[in-house]
Amino acid sequence: MAEMFGYAGKIARVDLTAGTVTVIEPPVDVLKKFLGGAALGMYYMVKEGLSDPAIGAFHEKNMIQFLLGPTNGFGPNARSTIVTKSAYNFNCITTSGGRAAAELRFAGWDGIQVVGKAKTPVYLEVIDDKITIKDATHLWGKDSEETEKELLASIQAPLEKRETIVTAGDMTPEWAAVRPPGGKGIGAKRLGAAWVIGRGGENRVWYACVTTEAARAHGRYGAGAIMGDKKLKGIVIRGTKGQKIYDKAKFLKILYDIQASEAKDAFWRLYGTAGIGQSESNVQSGYPIRNWQWCSWNDPDVVKSQDGPFMDNTSFKKPLSCPNCNLHCMFSSEITSSDPMMNGVLSDMPDWEAMGMVGGNLGYMEKAGKTPEDPQQLTQAERREVLAKIQYTTFLHDNYSLDYIEGGNNLALVQELYQRKLITEADLDGIKPVWGDVHAIDALVKKIILREGVGDHLANGTLETAKYFAEKKNNPEILKYACTTHGYGQPAHGVRSHADQNDLEYVTVNRATEHTSNGAAGFSKLDYAAGVAGQDVKCSQDSLVHCIFAAGHWAGKTADMIQALTGWTDYTEEDLFTLGAREYALCRIFDLTTRGVKDPKKEWDMMNYQHRWYEPLPNGPFKGSVAASGTPEKLFNEQLPAYWKARGWTDDKGVPTAAKLKELGIDDIAEALAAKLR
Amino acid sequence: MSQLHERLSELQEKLRLGQITRRDFLRYATLLGVSVGAAEALAACAPKPGPTAVPPTKVPPTKVPPTAVAPSEPAPTAPPPVAEKQALPGHTLLVDPTKCTGCLNCAVACSEKWLAEYFPNEAKHLMSLEFSRIRPMRFQLVDVVNVCYDCRLYQWAEGSSKAPCEQVCPQAALTVVPVGEGKPGFTGNGYLNVDRDLCTGLDLCGRCLEICEDQFGSGISFDPIEKKAQICSRCGGLPACVEACPEPLALQFYPLMTNGRMFAQTPADLAESLYNKIYDKFGRV
Repeated sequence: MAEMFGYAGKIARVDLTAGTVTVIEPPVDVLKKFLGGAALGMYYMVKEGLSDPAIGAFHEKNMIQFLLGPTNGFGPNARSTIVTKSAYNFNCITTSGGRAAAELRFAGWDGIQVVGKAKTPVYLEVIDDKITIKDATHLWGKDSEETEKELLASIQAPLEKRETIVTAGDMTPEWAAVRPPGGKGIGAKRLGAAWVIGRGGENRVWYACVTTEAARAHGRYGAGAIMGDKKLKGIVIRGTKGQKIYDKAKFLKILYDIQASEAKDAFWRLYGTAGIGQSESNVQSGYPIRNWQWCSWNDPDVVKSQDGPFMDNTSFKKPLSCPNCNLHCMFSSEITSSDPMMNGVLSDMPDWEAMGMVGGNLGYMEKAGKTPEDPQQLTQAERREVLAKIQYTTFLHDNYSLDYIEGGNNLALVQELYQRKLITEADLDGIKPVWGDVHAIDALVKKIILREGVGDHLANGTLETAKYFAEKKNNPEILKYACTTHGYGQPAHGVRSHADQNDLEYVTVNRATEHTSNGAAGFSKLDYAAGVAGQDVKCSQDSLVHCIFAAGHWAGKTADMIQALTGWTDYTEEDLFTLGAREYALCRIFDLTTRGVKDPKKEWDMMNYQHRWYEPLPNGPFKGSVAASGTPEKLFNEQLPAYWKARGWTDDKGVPTAAKLKELGIDDIAEALAAKLR
Repeated sequence: MSQLHERLSELQEKLRLGQITRRDFLRYATLLGVSVGAAEALAACAPKPGPTAVPPTKVPPTKVPPTAVAPSEPAPTAPPPVAEKQALPGHTLLVDPTKCTGCLNCAVACSEKWLAEYFPNEAKHLMSLEFSRIRPMRFQLVDVVNVCYDCRLYQWAEGSSKAPCEQVCPQAALTVVPVGEGKPGFTGNGYLNVDRDLCTGLDLCGRCLEICEDQFGSGISFDPIEKKAQICSRCGGLPACVEACPEPLALQFYPLMTNGRMFAQTPADLAESLYNKIYDKFGRV
């Protein structure tokens, strides 16, 4: 193998059924086409036939991939990506911050692919080139934080441990007399990193995350459930080999420029995402409130519990950076509450999605008996309790390794069904989930992660919860209250006001109902080319893999960064757009194939349980406004085909054309599947 | 770039006609991969709409992604004259772990400096934190910065005033390099240094780290190439890590009025006590 730069040149293939670890060397032209992370993951998913509907998410053959891009290692703002088939039966591409990805690169790997299922719980120990499948029976049943602590304490590189050799003779007699050598040898360093799951993942909750560093999560589409299904409790890594960089001087200049720019970025550095709810979402009527029944409060004071200075003074403890990032958008926090269940519990911030999905959406923000349209006038103490409830629910989801976007939709759905008396506490094992009751939420989440009683149904996500109750109560009206697109819960960005997120973006984004994919700015002006370009850029970020929060600081530097890292001196910014187009085409083909759809528009694109999109906003500056201007037929029959056309896909089914696949250089792996779909 | 250029021209035209705002122009242009500075220059190139032009309709600001807008660069001004930094004796590295974010900038600066010094061939392409003398370690929700604390034994009680690692080294490879000696910017000024010709490395020895971990901290590491001891020399009084740290007061070069062993802690012990301090807890981390 020729010497590689940026990359390590090898991916580990772990087969848990056979108990083997083999090495794959990804060809350079494949890396150049897909870079890593998300796009490379989809390449393997399609190439290896995992779009086959016969291979369900919990099938032994399903593969979960932890994939790096060239920036993982010393690149700034790097994240890790997991790619697999989701229990919801579509692609699962999910990213997270933290150090584990850099550590894996330093160990000499570009990724780990896991297939098969272990008979008993295991974890993977990666120490440089050596990957060992180890027994995790002692960790099974433990939650993320505890599992991670134990794994990190267990791993050391050969340079960090050794039996004792010091004797009293090495010391002065006086010293040895006072404190003789302890005989423990060497082994105090703690330099590893880990990805783990909690009980939510173990029990295959469909929206279970893979977590790291206590509060960072590969969220959303249930990568943790796939780990749990494979009985893979975690991966702990220690790498000492570093990263080889083609043009170090150029790379360091870009790195230091980005870091210097970040060091002046007050928005992220001061309070992370705390500015969004307070200054934007409520004003834009994009805030999820009580299962999206409202999207803003008449009393603007309500969101004061989430403004930066208040959260900082009430609970922030410490900023936590990802490697080589100077934005440190995450803050650990300690809950301050008069409720002993919550007081003193450690969590993180909350970030914006949590403020929305397990904040406003669960009815935590209003005083008892008040609606979002009433004046609230919360005291400082009441604001503290609001913040505490959000942080506590965030903690529950992080610690059990659950996604709180889907989780927030799921719980709010149950609350609304209860509010409308469509279900009763008898349907919920005696739990009464009134809006704002954090104890009821606590009880429900604990049932979900153990799949106990009604929790076994709720553990399959929002749409399945709605289907379960609709069938049980013989009332199809219940399905109206599941706020999902493509069967997956909507993130904390409303579409009805047209001031925040965009409906076409939720319908077209390559990862079901994703909110960070950059197309909205273009789509909101019906500029399809700009929307497509925005979506494609996001794919390149998920494949490099770097964080979108830092995207502004990278602008115009990305191709230079790739050139400096890899030595591919002909790599251009335009190649990043092509990479995004490849990923979108592969995701589309994968999703349509695995779902076995005959009529993609009807069975997939219009799989849109968003009754609420067309309910007029009840209050706020955009009162009366609805999604798609109230004309879903326009959204699906005009905008969607126009989008497909901009992508070079067929305008009746939205399948990439043969010419497009050839142009993208992926006809070899995708044309046979696409031909069946057309 | 032709495709890119076309889109940009279109955008410029739209900006000129007032169909998009300047903010939108910057957002689109940066999404297209143009740097913020260049985008601002391009925005400035679009002629202002004439007084007869219809003012653009005000659209509510969108917030996706809140991230894509970088802070604009301040106008370039002449840098203020920088006083030449003096190498300082008698100082130590003082970490405030509540301000440290664990970004690793210090370790990158340190490893780059020492890798280039001792392994210039490898340093052409390799970057590796294993050559760093300072290592931030992340425990659960706390960051511990692990580095040599510059401990000394007490002559009156322990029969020596050397550093403990220096005392147990069978090769006398660890020495304090006096003021006026050593390599400026690397060693000297009364700080410890490892003579790599004398050090026999971890395979044969490693007593320095063992005694450090046994009774003090874990302030020594071994490079992965020759496996020889690495101890922070405070860069001879001009530490690169302090220069690299982006967080005000998180890492300072501070006058040391006492024996450094007053700070000495193993990483896990320090993490546990820090966790207790920061979160008022008494659990293991």
